[in-house]
Amino acid sequence: MHSIQIKISRFKPGIIDPPAFIAYELTPAPDWTVLDALEQIRIHQEPSLMYRRACHHASCGTCACTINGVERLACKTKLTDLKTQAITLEPLRCFQRIGDLVTVRNTLFQFMQPDWSCLQPDEKRADHDLLLGGDGRAVTKFEDCIECGCCVSACPVARKNRRFLGPAVLSAINQEKKKNPSTENDLLTLAAAPDGEALCQRALACSRVCPTGVYPARHIAELRNQRKPMGKAN
Amino acid sequence: MEKIVIIGGGIGGAIAHDLALRGFTVVVVEKGELCCGSTGRHHGLLHSGARYALHDVATAAECMVENCILRTIAPQALEQNDGLFVALDDTDMTHYAQFLLNCKAAGIPCRELSADEARSMEPELSPTIKAAVQVPDATMDAWRLAMHFFASARANGADIRPFSEVVGLLANDGIITGVDVRDHQRQTTYVEKADMVVNATGPWAGQIAALLNINLPMKPSPGVMVSMQPRLTGMVINRLHPAGEGDIVVPQRNQSILGTSAWIADDPDEVMLPADHVKQMIDLCSQMLPQLAQLPVVAAWSASRPLLVSDTEADPTKISRASEVIDHAKTDGMQGLLSVVGGKATTMRAMAKKVVDRVCAKTGREIPCTTEHTVLHHYRRFFQ
Repeated sequence: MHSIQIKISRFKPGIIDPPAFIAYELTPAPDWTVLDALEQIRIHQEPSLMYRRACHHASCGTCACTINGVERLACKTKLTDLKTQAITLEPLRCFQRIGDLVTVRNTLFQFMQPDWSCLQPDEKRADHDLLLGGDGRAVTKFEDCIECGCCVSACPVARKNRRFLGPAVLSAINQEKKKNPSTENDLLTLAAAPDGEALCQRALACSRVCPTGVYPARHIAELRNQRKPMGKAN
Repeated sequence: MEKIVIIGGGIGGAIAHDLALRGFTVVVVEKGELCCGSTGRHHGLLHSGARYALHDVATAAECMVENCILRTIAPQALEQNDGLFVALDDTDMTHYAQFLLNCKAAGIPCRELSADEARSMEPELSPTIKAAVQVPDATMDAWRLAMHFFASARANGADIRPFSEVVGLLANDGIITGVDVRDHQRQTTYVEKADMVVNATGPWAGQIAALLNINLPMKPSPGVMVSMQPRLTGMVINRLHPAGEGDIVVPQRNQSILGTSAWIADDPDEVMLPADHVKQMIDLCSQMLPQLAQLPVVAAWSASRPLLVSDTEADPTKISRASEVIDHAKTDGMQGLLSVVGGKATTMRAMAKKVVDRVCAKTGREIPCTTEHTVLHHYRRFFQ
């Protein structure tokens, strides 16, 4: 592969402030991802470059950033898939920026409650007999949502209104109420609050960028459909 | 109480949690994002220990104990899905009886399954398998498990600093006094004083020790992992044979994660994948799950195991995965510096206990470890 140019939005509070684009040249191997490129730039060109990464396979969600204007995971975005030799990297929108590509997703986790389960029943394997499951524990798998924040960053409503619960939280609400019916009333009330699903304008950007196929817009539609008949009863 | 600086934001979370519970003042410094080294990028197997049964019963037994503890203290970081060891041919079957015996010796509960029973549970298994054994393996979320420890450590007062790189170790008359830290956000370098320093940087431990000209010969042993979609099985699928390459598929969310190879690298930052390893993983793992050969690759990456050069075994898949705490007062005349090497994510709580027991001994304190019974804070708490 030929040499490519990666423009990275750099930011160091009080130092590179306001943020500025700095271009880096490198000659990648054909199978490199954006994350591989970031690693190489940090190791060989810019030791102070800040970006998040952990799992390298679309499970932890840390490396989410804006790649040529679109929210993606750097770890599974191949340079060749971008079909351009000019690549621009920026942090996710809507979140507080700490440095370079790093944002803190506290606004996501402010609403995402720890007692909403990260696990879902694995219905295909409900009859598997677990070795340590003597107390009737069900076979489970993780929820698809990796809480990366891509959907929030892409949402035109969330970009303008930081109080909007946002697509990830609304999806989690919809999943949790299915798994834990005793919470349904409280969760539907939360979703129907003024900062909840009513603000969604059905742009569907969330579903388009979600890297793990959660389709948040469908969850929001389900919540909206459930709200109407309950409206006055509550 | 004494202030302990931990270098390394992987297993450092478990150490910080244990230290904080025992009342120490704790600072964790990590050069990048938390878990960006080996701890965050393994294949996500919560070991039952069965993978080590044929060659390292002691490690197998330790895994089983820790497996049960983690299910209690961090249930949200683990799928409840179990694992299978499948025998593919007559050679594998020659290990079957010994495998069961060693699992029993290690305290790992097993359920023997005929080929038909195994295939009725996991229909994607090869039609040619001979037999299978079910064990309490599980899928873990590598990031979330480690972040449970960080969330708990922080809730108990630990100061966790990502993007803070140690660029110097400070010592006076053979006693460690602190670390020089490069803050990558503020672009400044500052001194963080410490009563003791714990080097928990895994395969980077040799580079940290070298800052004081201490020779800690690490042998980073990367392994390639390949993630494919979709998920083919509920359970973790292992090959029943002496642990080797390309013999495990860990399902997670909608992915099947194939592992792994092993070689010895000079530099733990090595990110280049030997091109043939990806194909090799797919070839070998598709002997167990033929459908894998048809699936698209989501990602391929490597992670470095933190092995010590003193190991005499040449084959990195056979080197013991036990952990070791090195007291540099004894080995190098440097008081107040500990390094922890080896080990694995499944046993990170036990590794942390070993480190903190040593910190207590060095500081003359007798405070019991309580992490075994302390339910961890949810990882989301870290961000709240």
